[in-house]
Amino acid sequence: MEALSLREDNGDKTAVVGQNTLQLIAFSIGEQTYGVEITTVREIRAWNGATPLPNTRDFVRGVINLRGTIVPIFDLRARFGDGQTSPTKNHVVVVMSVGDKWVGILVDAVSDILTVSREDIHNVPEGNAIDTELLNGIITHDSRMVGLIDLHAVVNGAKLDG
Amino acid sequence: MSDLDDFKATYFDECSELMNELEEQFAAIEGGERDADRLNAVFRAIHSIKGGAGAFGFSGLVGFAHAYETLLDYVRDGRVEMTDDVVSLCIRANDIVGDYINAAQSGEELAADYGQEEKQRFDAIARGQRGGDEDEWSGEIIEEFDIEFTPVRVELAVDDGDVVEAVEAPVAAEPDTFDAPPMPVEPGHWEVRFTPYRQLYSRANDPLLLFRELAALGEINVRAILTDIPALSDFEPFGVYCSWEISLFAPDLTESAIREVFEFVDGDCSIEVVPLGHVVPPAAAPAPAPVAVVQPAKADENLMALTEDEVAAAPVRLVAEAPSAPVAAEPVAEEPALSFADLANEISASAPPRPVPQAAAPKPAAAPKPAAGGEGGEEGGNRAVGVQSIRVDLDKVDRVVNMVSELVITQSMLTQQMDENLRARYTELVRGLEVLAQTTRGLQDSVMAIRAQPVKSVFSRMPRLVRELATKTGKKIKLETIGENTEIDKTVIEQLSDPLTHMIRNSADHGIEDPEKRKSRGKSEIGTIRLSAEQAGGNILIIVEDDGNGINRERVLQLARDKGLVAPDITPTDEQIDQLIFAPGFSTADAVSDISGRGVGMDVVLSNIKKIGGSVHVRSWTGKGSRVTLRLPLTLAVLDVMLVKVGESPYVVPLSSIVETMQCSGAIFERVPSGGQVLQVRGEYVQVIDVAQRFGMHSNKAPDDRFVVLCESEGSQKVALVVDDIIGQQQVVIKSLEENFEQVEGIAGGTILGDGNVALIVDVQGLRVHQIHQNAA
Repeated sequence: MEALSLREDNGDKTAVVGQNTLQLIAFSIGEQTYGVEITTVREIRAWNGATPLPNTRDFVRGVINLRGTIVPIFDLRARFGDGQTSPTKNHVVVVMSVGDKWVGILVDAVSDILTVSREDIHNVPEGNAIDTELLNGIITHDSRMVGLIDLHAVVNGAKLDG
Repeated sequence: MSDLDDFKATYFDECSELMNELEEQFAAIEGGERDADRLNAVFRAIHSIKGGAGAFGFSGLVGFAHAYETLLDYVRDGRVEMTDDVVSLCIRANDIVGDYINAAQSGEELAADYGQEEKQRFDAIARGQRGGDEDEWSGEIIEEFDIEFTPVRVELAVDDGDVVEAVEAPVAAEPDTFDAPPMPVEPGHWEVRFTPYRQLYSRANDPLLLFRELAALGEINVRAILTDIPALSDFEPFGVYCSWEISLFAPDLTESAIREVFEFVDGDCSIEVVPLGHVVPPAAAPAPAPVAVVQPAKADENLMALTEDEVAAAPVRLVAEAPSAPVAAEPVAEEPALSFADLANEISASAPPRPVPQAAAPKPAAAPKPAAGGEGGEEGGNRAVGVQSIRVDLDKVDRVVNMVSELVITQSMLTQQMDENLRARYTELVRGLEVLAQTTRGLQDSVMAIRAQPVKSVFSRMPRLVRELATKTGKKIKLETIGENTEIDKTVIEQLSDPLTHMIRNSADHGIEDPEKRKSRGKSEIGTIRLSAEQAGGNILIIVEDDGNGINRERVLQLARDKGLVAPDITPTDEQIDQLIFAPGFSTADAVSDISGRGVGMDVVLSNIKKIGGSVHVRSWTGKGSRVTLRLPLTLAVLDVMLVKVGESPYVVPLSSIVETMQCSGAIFERVPSGGQVLQVRGEYVQVIDVAQRFGMHSNKAPDDRFVVLCESEGSQKVALVVDDIIGQQQVVIKSLEENFEQVEGIAGGTILGDGNVALIVDVQGLRVHQIHQNAA
């Protein structure tokens, strides 16, 4: 599980919240809430346009300049197969580190920081390939379902012919 | 621990430099330049490698290097002739030394008998030569590091001028021998004049060690000449102001053996070795009789004058014993001083010649002056001795380069902000900006020059590769290198090694034929691979040529069809077929050898070169050979580009590839059967690529309002890019897309514009190659 291994890398930072808990940044796409572990998040910024990248899948919204480096932006809605987001200034880009790369994902809004117990992470039900591919697990928080995003899976397969 | 690691890292750095030097020297030696300078350079390199290896305890390397060194020494002495056999053995030995170094660096263990065969051959050559040779003895000296200490006698001469003479009674030697150095014409007596330059100590040399080494050769008598010691106020604490005169008695000693002792101080001093009773300069010849006793008063004065600084200036620790030794003193005649003055004149022409009759007690104050004069002249002279350089961490240089790049961008952004209105109103500001632009350019050029390195550093690795390939394939291959002093940015050079290796492997494996086959074709048995570098405008061309078989187009095409790269109904041109070898996974070798044929070769070349903004082109002549040309940017940091608009997005096209631009309304387009378009330019037909269409973007401009950017891609083939608008020229810093993403087809990278937005760099050649594949599919 990606989230677990990441947590080990940053063990000292998350130690405060205890061995068995996990802090997530939660964000919304439409009605749905998703989360990523807080330690992977580098920066949250408002959508300010991106330079489109040709010859890539539709969920690659383009690249932005993040203090001198070029960072690709992934449209999470499009990645889930719900069509491209029509971004406004109110949309948000969450910049995260995946492995040694920095990527941004375009979401509708950032809603919350959640502290959840590891025991509350449920497996993704078998069935839809998109769900099992892109989610690491499912968490129930305040009787809402929060999908734990598998960042590696999101970033993969961005090339048109890949 | 980490200190040791640092030292080791430095040692390995040096080793790789030395190995390069070896390759270079042997390339020349192989080419017939067998002069002493080259041999000495080789000898020094091996000696340095051995020395460091000893310090770190790499015993295998030390042993091998030692045997090698012994052979070289014989060659140097002329006792072994530098035949082709010896040369090729040496070249093989270099490779082994290289392997030892690599093994030491990576911590691997080489087989215990690695290099034994060569080592035995060294010994055999050396021994075969030594049989019955009376020189045997001196050979032994070099082999056995004889550290046994023979008493060294140091005299610190004082005349009524400034020469102090001190005497240590030797245990073994007859004082008389020393007191009368010019005992005439007995063989084995040598007079060595050792005149260090000022910087001797700063190069971590200690004369004492040299004297000890000399003492190991025979009986010696050392005298320090202190005439050049300046007054305390003019005294540079770490400078050397002494010179030494050493008389050496050792039978059967050759001059070169003596000079060898001074090997490591070569360039930091002047050495004169004169067999006594031969060519002694007339002035020194009638050397004085009985040696001087230090006159107490005089000595005190001198000691006062010299004191601590003297300790630093002249490591005559032996001298410290001098007073306790039976000291004989007598005004030393002026002649020796004179001869050393002459010597000093040799070193530094600016030093005024000392008047001959100086016996009449030169005033102490007079002495410093010539010395000081000499010092200035000497320092000036020394600067010319070696290229002065410093080792700087590449990271630091890179930081400067990055900052300068950003500065260039900012400057060009500022210039763009100046509209006509502002120009008219603020003339001073405009002038300032112009100066800034100039200075920035100059700064950028200078910084880039720091990072520029001759391609030699990559080229020099290739001869070994070719030798190995020749051995493995059983072919006869000769490598020629041309233009290896062409300078390219270090970052480009680093990216060159892999592509060059692949290209040369390819040439050796696929290009060059077997000797029999070559013979039957009327070619020389020895195949030639020519590696050359030259600068062409803002680019560097690296060309790998061979006189082999050329590309087997039938096979390539067949394979491409099999792999579905080319559709059955398409007949590509010869040139297009040649380019197919860059497709991933492509290999035409009949059998996968361990050299090449796995099909990962040429596409690595292409992707590596593309990554650094270069392009690759291959040409082939069936049966005659092939040529692969790499076109590389001079620098990676800043690129001159044309900013264009495609759809709503900014794109940049490298200026170096643009031939001309024109409006579509004035251009002549023609249709071709494939449905594509060609552009007619002055009777030439050029493939047209609509960038917007290719990139899947919508152009909302009327066709006639668009622009054509005529680009030259590799191999004089032009291509016309149709873009929506041309915005202007500027300089940009190339940013990698792969750093956070991956390579994208048709895009060579990204850059950040003055307004903070990202613009993508069009990969002109990539678009073209893609087009061919698309047509084919």
